[in-house]
Amino acid sequence: MTEQSDAPYTPDHAPVLVAVLNNQPDFERARDDGWYRIPLKRAPRRIAAEYLAFYQTGAFGDEGCAVNWYAPVRRFQVLSRAELLPDEPDHPRAGDLYYRIEIGPLQRLAAPVTSPRLRRVTFIPTTLGRLLAAREVNDLWQRDDVQGRLWAALREAGLLAEYRYQLGEPPNETLIDFALFCRDGRIAVLCEAAPDPDPDLRERRPAEYDLVAAGWQVMQFSARQVTDSVAGCVEQVAALVRQLGGQAATTE
Amino acid sequence: MTLPIRLGFVVKVLGRAGLKEHDSRRWQNNPHLSVSLAYLRDIFEYLRAGQITMYRISSDLAPYATHPDMPQFHNQLDECAAELAVVGDLARAIGLRLSFHPSQYVILNSPDEALTAKSVWDLRVQAEILDRMALGPEAVVVTHVGGIYEGREPARERFVRRWEQLSPVVQERLVLENDDVRFGVADTLWIHRRTGIRLVFDNLHHHNHNPDGIPLRDALASCLATWPADVRPKIHFSSPRTEMRIVQRQDKETGRKVDELQQPVWTRHSDFIHPFEFIDFLRAAADLRPFDVMLECKAKDLALLRLRDDLARYAPDLQDRVT
Repeated sequence: MTEQSDAPYTPDHAPVLVAVLNNQPDFERARDDGWYRIPLKRAPRRIAAEYLAFYQTGAFGDEGCAVNWYAPVRRFQVLSRAELLPDEPDHPRAGDLYYRIEIGPLQRLAAPVTSPRLRRVTFIPTTLGRLLAAREVNDLWQRDDVQGRLWAALREAGLLAEYRYQLGEPPNETLIDFALFCRDGRIAVLCEAAPDPDPDLRERRPAEYDLVAAGWQVMQFSARQVTDSVAGCVEQVAALVRQLGGQAATTE
Repeated sequence: MTLPIRLGFVVKVLGRAGLKEHDSRRWQNNPHLSVSLAYLRDIFEYLRAGQITMYRISSDLAPYATHPDMPQFHNQLDECAAELAVVGDLARAIGLRLSFHPSQYVILNSPDEALTAKSVWDLRVQAEILDRMALGPEAVVVTHVGGIYEGREPARERFVRRWEQLSPVVQERLVLENDDVRFGVADTLWIHRRTGIRLVFDNLHHHNHNPDGIPLRDALASCLATWPADVRPKIHFSSPRTEMRIVQRQDKETGRKVDELQQPVWTRHSDFIHPFEFIDFLRAAADLRPFDVMLECKAKDLALLRLRDDLARYAPDLQDRVT
């Protein structure tokens, strides 16, 4: 039930939800039976989309740590686990409710969207245009102007940052704007753009003292600093990276 | 203790990029109510985060559900019984007051029987969605009287006759709003006296169309009084758009389209709510029965959030009365 990516015209702005596959049976369900599941209790704040894309974890070997496939969403259903997986009637969560997302045929992306630093990936809302153009997982996120400028400058300077790095689990997770992992420590860059109209994102901004308590080195930049001197911001980050022994290969 | 006034906004979310209000795919791509409900669920999560407790749902929630030539879409409500119940559970859990406002093509008093039948079908689908979400009587479907046709009085009377023929499912959800050019508050009150239908007061419509000269506060009080004692009334509030309009017209000599500046039309909505108008309105209504306010403006949720800030700044005495 898979097709090569000769998909018909679809709008760039069509919403896409990048979901995680961490085992072969779930991949086979998506590919052969045409569905994916999300437990209601642990559903992210955004689930709705016209397309599902799948980030496959390291469990998939050569295909792992990348988004390789996507599919159009056909419908959502709410079912109990027992209804979804009738072969497992005695499962401890048999009565729990799940979203069963029915999808069309899987389509392979022209190039995989990788996670070069083996970042832990959860759900990422994006658009079809971004998905089709992305090179790595961080490209999937939509960024405002200030964050986009800082992201581009960090990348140009060879600094490997993880955008919107998640701490904790939904619904109590917080998001670091840019996380950098070094040999001797971790850096959280918080970008104080104009007040975000999205109360959800405001709510998920981590408190500096929480980050410091968890062992992060915190840097904050105002929108003005980024706009007036993005190079200066990047140099400050680079200096701290050097102080912490240079960048590590993974986010572990 | 009186519950604070709930502020709501209409359909589209501007405060979060990419949050859609319904499955807008064309019929060839098989859009589905269940996908719309997933979008709605995401919007509810956004509302929860912003502590916004009133919202108008898109009338296109169930795509093509009443398209006469597309029977494949007609059974979506049955297909989504579980999903409607779950999203209704979420709405109740976060104390959301919800409503529909069908499009201008839904006209109950049309002499055209086919158009009326189609309108009744649309109303029934929307009322049934609210029922299947197990929402209380505060969740309503707002409509207007309709067209004038052969005259104001026969048009009102035809509305009453059509209302009498509606199913209880629709009658219990349907509420009537004064409009800005045809039927004012005196007309909606006339219909209320014959049907018992609840009335939604719209301030801007009343300013634009008040042929009977009813003072605003009296009109508001009369509409509020049409709601049962145990159901919180709601009203619509908007500010008129005051800037010059850019209108495209064709140049007679060159045939080219040119932009022309024209004076404003006071029926149009502004981007944001004028804070001082709103404050004056609330103060004038302070001793009336409590009500909720649906804000009709182009900046949607951004306008609601701004109005909260404006109240805190310019009328801190009212701040606690509004949520």
